[in-house]
Amino acid sequence: MFQVEKLVKRFGEIRAVDGISFEIRKGELYGLLGPNGAGKTTTMSMLSGLLRPDEGRILFDGMDLALDPIAVKARLGIVPQETALYENLTGRENLRFWGGLYGLSGKQLDQAVDRVLDQVGLSSRARDPVKTYSGGMKRRLNLGMGLVHSPHAVLMDEPTVGIDVQARLNILEAVRQVVASGATVLYTTHYLEEAESLCDRIGIMDHGRILAEGTLDELKRRVGNKEIVSVRGSFDAEAAKARLVTTPGVLAVSAEPGKLVLSVDGSGRAAVELLAGVLSSGMQVEGVSIQPPSLNSLFLDLTGRELRD
Amino acid sequence: MRPITLLVAKDLRRKFRAPLGLAITLSFPLIFAGMIALVFGSHGDAIPKVRLLVENRDQDALLSGGLVSALTSTQMAEYFDVKVVREEGAALMEKGEASALLRIPKGFSRSLVDGAPVSLVLVRNPAEGILPEIAEQAAQTLAEALSGGSRVLRRPLEQLRPYFESGGVRITDDGVAAISVAIKRSIEGARPFLAPPVITLEGAFASNPADPTGSKRGNGVSQIFLLVLPGVAVYTLFLVGDQGMRDLLTEAAEGTLRRQLAGPIDARTLLVGKAAYTAVLASLALAVLSIVGVLVGSTGADPLGFLVLSLALILAVTGAAATVYGFARTERQGATLASVVYLVLGFAGGSFLPLESLPPSVRAIAPFSPFYWGSQGYRRLVADGAGLGSILPNVAVLAGLGIVLLAIGAAALGSVVRRGAAA
Repeated sequence: MFQVEKLVKRFGEIRAVDGISFEIRKGELYGLLGPNGAGKTTTMSMLSGLLRPDEGRILFDGMDLALDPIAVKARLGIVPQETALYENLTGRENLRFWGGLYGLSGKQLDQAVDRVLDQVGLSSRARDPVKTYSGGMKRRLNLGMGLVHSPHAVLMDEPTVGIDVQARLNILEAVRQVVASGATVLYTTHYLEEAESLCDRIGIMDHGRILAEGTLDELKRRVGNKEIVSVRGSFDAEAAKARLVTTPGVLAVSAEPGKLVLSVDGSGRAAVELLAGVLSSGMQVEGVSIQPPSLNSLFLDLTGRELRD
Repeated sequence: MRPITLLVAKDLRRKFRAPLGLAITLSFPLIFAGMIALVFGSHGDAIPKVRLLVENRDQDALLSGGLVSALTSTQMAEYFDVKVVREEGAALMEKGEASALLRIPKGFSRSLVDGAPVSLVLVRNPAEGILPEIAEQAAQTLAEALSGGSRVLRRPLEQLRPYFESGGVRITDDGVAAISVAIKRSIEGARPFLAPPVITLEGAFASNPADPTGSKRGNGVSQIFLLVLPGVAVYTLFLVGDQGMRDLLTEAAEGTLRRQLAGPIDARTLLVGKAAYTAVLASLALAVLSIVGVLVGSTGADPLGFLVLSLALILAVTGAAATVYGFARTERQGATLASVVYLVLGFAGGSFLPLESLPPSVRAIAPFSPFYWGSQGYRRLVADGAGLGSILPNVAVLAGLGIVLLAIGAAALGSVVRRGAAA
């Protein structure tokens, strides 16, 4: 459904998106996973027609976005990262406006608005001004506004940033419903667990490039037996990193004040020997954890940084 | 067309959900014009009188007495409320109980008879503006009349001299007859120069061409209200237009502009929608002000002229707002820029004060302000009862300016929209 070919976007000297290509199939939930500043939102802005790519092209159902932007945008639903709502209007009025803008009217518009209000759980507050909504409710309405015209594909840019756990669960459930209804979804996030639990396929992005792509199983296979060992305490992390990076079985090390994160080969005794070395080095260790292979291991392997950096 | 209707309806709904800003803006011209009308028009149809104190220090003298009698005559009472005082004049002025104090100096009559220079002293009340000015003009006229009179009546005045001397002779019937004859001869000698006057001036109220009966429109308060309202109403319309176009930057800051641009409408449609909203908002504001004007002033104006001038003004309002916000980087920057520009143009264009009361340098630049063309146009329609024909220059200037500013503003706002999309 979406074909993205060699997309480039520069801001001055910075290549915010650096020649990425990927494809999203019909009915698929594709996740772009990466830390803040990876280029996810810039990619999303180009896909939604807000930014013109410097190079490359975007095809939607065979239509070139650059050549026929209105026709493509009419088939897309947008859920921006920041809530973009009219605070003085009610939830229903907001939905009616956006539905109208996408060509809905009369009974069709009424039904679409009722459906979305039900979908995002706001039917009982539909007549209240948005300014009286909680943060989570605004997020849900923000999501609903991207769905009111039953789009063929929905672009969701980190829709769960900055909300509480319950609101987040509500939104994730709504996203699952959207996919179940047959729509295609592009979902950006920097939450590992969201990508793992939601997405059919995931593209791992950093510094404007897609570093790895595939289903969760495919990506995990790339991780292999690598384990993540985290060490916390009062020590010079950079000095410890320099000392431990040459330890047999250590594949990558990320250091920050008071914390070391190491990717180690989990097939042998590397983790055990690493910990013994750490303890005998005189480092003041306050806690140690070992995580099984995950996307975080892969990201650490690929970038030398934790995804949460 | 439907997207534009949706955009305008949405913006109007938002505006009416939070109407305080608009209400305050709309109340400004009504309060301003109302206060001016109450201050200057609260005497109804009566012309306010000049409260004049006359302090005669040339007591018991013939000519100064005659002057006081003239000032307290019934003819003068129509315009002056004259009170003759002795020594308390200065104290009364200190209390602000008069517009001016006219002091007749000691020896005034003798100096006049002697043909010596003599001065009348006029003390003005600084707390009043116009009335002391009238008193001064009247005193000036009086002084000139006395000067002329003393020259013409030089000979008979000489005959009066013995009677001014202290302990002088009492005037006899023969003396009166001789002086009367001398005065008559002097006047007759001067008659070819004085009467009949070559030029006469007749005072009259301007009559309304649309009202052949010449009946006055409303009372003093409503007349002044209608005189002041057009200027401040035009200024207010520009402020309302500012609110409309400012919304584009508000939406850019709140992310809704970006969201709309991600929808199936292009930037041009969005701009047209916001310009249409601005125009509709200004039209509604104009309608409210017009209704109040009609209710307060109990008067009407040529409907076709009013409509055409209003359309041209709304075009200018929309164009000006588009230009201001096209060049502003932020909402606050635009609001500040608009306030300064509109205030200067409003003052220069006679929105707050009648042009006639402004310095010549300001009057010279007034035609460069759209406020001038708007204010003058409405004043001619409302106060003078003029028709469309006489305000066509105003319509042409406002419409032309509106089209030019809209073109400039649209080009500049394009970059605002691009910034909003990329934000």
